[in-house]
Amino acid sequence: MFTIIMTHTHGKARIAFFLAPAIMLGEVLCDLQQPTQMAQIIDHGLAQGDGHYVLMHASLMLGFALLGLMCGATCGTLGSYASLKMGEALRSEMLTIALTSRDPAGLAPATLITRITNDVTQMQNLVMMVTRGLVRSPLLLIGGIVMSTIVCPDLAPILFVIMPLLVVYLLVIVRRSLPLYTAMQQAVDRVNRSMRENLQGAKTIKSYVLEDHQLTSFNADNTHLQMTSQKAALATVTLAPVIQLLLNLGVVIALGYGGSLAIAKTISSGQIIAFVNYMIQITTAMIQTVNIITAFSRAITSAARVQAVLAENPPAVSATGMPPVDAAIDFHQVSFGYDAAEPILANINLHIDAGTTCGIVGPTGSGKSSLINLLTRSFDQYTGTITIGGVDIQQLSLPMVHQQLSVALQDSVLFSGTIASNLRFGDPQASAAQLSAAAHTAVADEFIEPLPKRFDAPVAQRGKNFSGGQRQRLNLARAFVPDHAIVILDDATSAVDQTTNAQIKSRLAQARHGQTTIIISQRVTNVIACDQIIVLDAGKITAQGTHEELLTRSPFYQQLVATQLGGGRYAAE
Amino acid sequence: MQLNNRPHRNIHREKITVGNWRPTVKRLWHYLADSQKRLFIVFLLTIVTTVVTIVGTRINGIVIDRYIAHARLQTLLAVCAAMAGVYVIASVFVYFQNSIIIKVAQTTSTQIRHDVFANLQHLPMTYFDTHDNGDVMSRLTNDVDNINTALMQTFVQLFTGIISIVGMGAAMLWLSPVLFAITLLATGATYLFSRGVARVTHQAFATQQSALGSLNTQIEESVSGKLVVQLFDHIDATMTHFDQTNHDYTQAAFRAQALSSIIGPFNNMTNNVAYVLITAVGAVSILGHWGNITVGVIFTFLIYLRNFTGPINNLLDLINTLQLSLVSAQRVFALIDEPQEQDAANARALTHTAGNVQFDHVSFAYHTRPILTDINLTAHSGDVIALVGPTGAGKTTIMNLLTNLYPLQAGRVLLDGIDVTTIKRADLRKLITVVQQESYLFTMSIRDNIRLGRPTADDAAIIAAAKAANAHTFITQLPDGYDTILSENAHSLSQGQRQLLSIARAFITQAPILVLDEATAAIDSNTERLVQSAMAKLMQDKTSFVIAHRLSTIQAADQILVIDNGQVIESGTHQSLLAQNGFYARLYNSQFETRS
Repeated sequence: MFTIIMTHTHGKARIAFFLAPAIMLGEVLCDLQQPTQMAQIIDHGLAQGDGHYVLMHASLMLGFALLGLMCGATCGTLGSYASLKMGEALRSEMLTIALTSRDPAGLAPATLITRITNDVTQMQNLVMMVTRGLVRSPLLLIGGIVMSTIVCPDLAPILFVIMPLLVVYLLVIVRRSLPLYTAMQQAVDRVNRSMRENLQGAKTIKSYVLEDHQLTSFNADNTHLQMTSQKAALATVTLAPVIQLLLNLGVVIALGYGGSLAIAKTISSGQIIAFVNYMIQITTAMIQTVNIITAFSRAITSAARVQAVLAENPPAVSATGMPPVDAAIDFHQVSFGYDAAEPILANINLHIDAGTTCGIVGPTGSGKSSLINLLTRSFDQYTGTITIGGVDIQQLSLPMVHQQLSVALQDSVLFSGTIASNLRFGDPQASAAQLSAAAHTAVADEFIEPLPKRFDAPVAQRGKNFSGGQRQRLNLARAFVPDHAIVILDDATSAVDQTTNAQIKSRLAQARHGQTTIIISQRVTNVIACDQIIVLDAGKITAQGTHEELLTRSPFYQQLVATQLGGGRYAAE
Repeated sequence: MQLNNRPHRNIHREKITVGNWRPTVKRLWHYLADSQKRLFIVFLLTIVTTVVTIVGTRINGIVIDRYIAHARLQTLLAVCAAMAGVYVIASVFVYFQNSIIIKVAQTTSTQIRHDVFANLQHLPMTYFDTHDNGDVMSRLTNDVDNINTALMQTFVQLFTGIISIVGMGAAMLWLSPVLFAITLLATGATYLFSRGVARVTHQAFATQQSALGSLNTQIEESVSGKLVVQLFDHIDATMTHFDQTNHDYTQAAFRAQALSSIIGPFNNMTNNVAYVLITAVGAVSILGHWGNITVGVIFTFLIYLRNFTGPINNLLDLINTLQLSLVSAQRVFALIDEPQEQDAANARALTHTAGNVQFDHVSFAYHTRPILTDINLTAHSGDVIALVGPTGAGKTTIMNLLTNLYPLQAGRVLLDGIDVTTIKRADLRKLITVVQQESYLFTMSIRDNIRLGRPTADDAAIIAAAKAANAHTFITQLPDGYDTILSENAHSLSQGQRQLLSIARAFITQAPILVLDEATAAIDSNTERLVQSAMAKLMQDKTSFVIAHRLSTIQAADQILVIDNGQVIESGTHQSLLAQNGFYARLYNSQFETRS
């Protein structure tokens, strides 16, 4: 945890992080002066009837009080500065990692989001605590013990019995409660996931009248959270009363034993009073230390969860190759799968000439999208070689690969902002003319133009303010904006209607004339015109050729055409 | 319910009302109403433990003045033994007191989460259309947490605080009015200071919370859309934008926290000053023989001071948490108060329908933007009605009106002659099965996801539905079969497989009316053929509305409505529409364009 703090505080924040506790030391020392000065006033000033002595020591105490305030305030400000700066740095780094990670088996988005938000906040609170409380309370505790031993050595053995008892008890409690807090955090995750899903699936829930059903299942998660949180909190509940009791007993013993010593004239009343005052300071410090340790143990859980994200830091991608000069694509003996027994892609050999179009068809789950994921280097765990323009893509940096390719996925993920900010995703410098042209090719211009702010029209989170078909066309337009050698459409017109689809098809043919284009589609009409069509089935290429060739060669393709085009005009031609 | 009266999009620029806390506090108190008995016990325990502290402290002083000063060893030891016994009992009380509070706080926050969730389930679609998930999530999680923390910490400390203040105040006044006045002054100073700081920081805390909301929205959005961010090499740009928001949040938080972090040290200082004054004034009084102050009284006062300002200090330290939690409570209550979609007062129950649907001059507008104009449609029991037309023409919206998801602007939608707005929503929706364009699958087993269509369905029915939807084969090929848990993780199911599952879910509902919204769009043709035949079976005894791209589906329809620009521009059968040689004919022919 300390490592996390150290690597995420720099410059002023780092200085603040170390300076704050140091300054806090000042406040503690000032606080510790009070009972000793008080004992002197009682034992010397009062006993000798010296009014001047009383006033002098009183002014000294006042001075210490003011100095303490200055130290405390400075420490607080520095502490919040350090903790917030660390939180800022952590969030930024974790989000970068989350965005660059390409591990398909990595953390799920939901838990990533919780970790970047809640857990970082916990860490932030922790650092705030470390800089103030974690230094102040133990110092006050130790200082209290030292000062009381100096003021009244005869009573010190009381502390030496009580303190070890307390420390052992504390350790036991903390060890027992740690796993309970981990369980609680898991319960929190479950409740959060349930909430998020119900927000995202609101329409499905309404359509199936599942409101009460979902509420029941939420209640189960919610109750589970209640139980685990209670268990965690109850595991530490004995702490405060036990500490209070031990120190109260200490005070009673100090009075009884100290009293008998005072009667025997071994020590003075002032000493007893000072000792008891220190004892109370120690009690307070002890309880605060415990509260901090409890909060600390919670934050440790968070720190571990944050650490897990930081540990995902993806290895830098080697880039020894020069950017490819042309846009020919080759797959050579490529296989891919999570389970060797059930490969997702097996032994794929494929050549796409630069400047040609390639259509890919095949049943659901046949591996079409995986093929693209390998080409875009979303996954690297394959065997065989994939080249662009003759260069192995493993030799290219990710930006180099992505500057060759422009992809429109079936899932139209849009971001809050404006239409323009979404379209400029692949090319922040794109001109207004480029945006218009891309929107035109994607047939998105027809709904963008009538909008009052046109390209500056707002896009809500996930593009919720546009219909499914509109989102998909924006998604498509986004892929057309950058001037990349290869365009890949992964079933990217599945939600648009026939007319629009036909329009997109013809505008695309115009706009991408003579450029490498890969079209994955469920619709046979979208690939009919391609120079080459690949039929994928169960991860293997079962047929390859032009539309006419496949009509005679591939039973699957024949069936596809028959279902979609029926006995329509095409067959008659 | 007037659509245009609804608040406009207010994404994370929520205005947080400053000032009137009273209704919020009252409502929080209302949440504790169920725990009154337990809180009463806590109250009693607190009185006992506090009185023990007050009396015990005074006895300490008496011990010094009488037994030690006058060397009465026997009495001294007896009194100490008695005190030890009382402290043991008091500690047991404190234990119970804290345990109860933990349970009360957990019960309360669980209840609040439940209330928020329960209300959320019944909000109109317009709410979900216009609010960011990140902001709503932040209310459900962070804000409820803040309330919980405040409840856990505040209660014991509030009780202890009040009783200590009253009890010790009385004891101190009786012992020495002068020293009490010093204590009061110190307390007053801390109080005024904290209030001043609170007033200054309140707005800063509100800004901090709303900045946090937009920070969370950005995190959620970019993490969920990670693949696109990667493919477009947009990581740097995303991070630049995020870092700005992140920085803004940090600034707002620093303004709020730095100021309020002075409260603690200031209190500590006033405490120390009071400590000095009591010692000094007490000592001078003893020397001058003013009043009846003794060393024991000073001793008692010094301990009282710690225990007197201690609770007050705690209360004031809590201002941070309390303020945050009140802002949070307001945000949470605002969500609980969001008006639900309400059935009409005299809404009728309806468990059966013949399946006759009629749209009678229906118009619909969204935020004053007209979406549908004068839609007329008649579907007889058992009809298959196809809706075709360009994207955004309003096909989905028409179907949304059938299930009463949005309020009409004009006209009526009739089911067996009954206005659907007069039918209980739950009843209406149970009679209509909707297969959405992107039906949502939840993190639970495949079996349970299908079962959502009819929660009472048994396993046999689920398998039958999966078979009908042609999903059985791929499900049984999964290692865990029907028990496979669908997760948000990347490599669980393909888009097409997910769609098959949502079709299976539709199969199981057995409702007399079916709405298919482009449901077959993402399924490969092979599967689609099987699904289509199954659909035909499913549609047999039902009134079906199909929004489809596939001509084979449309050709079989009893009636085809061509929708464009929110209007029905053509209607008839496939043959009659082709004969018209209008929009539909053009649409049909465009399907077969090949190389141009």
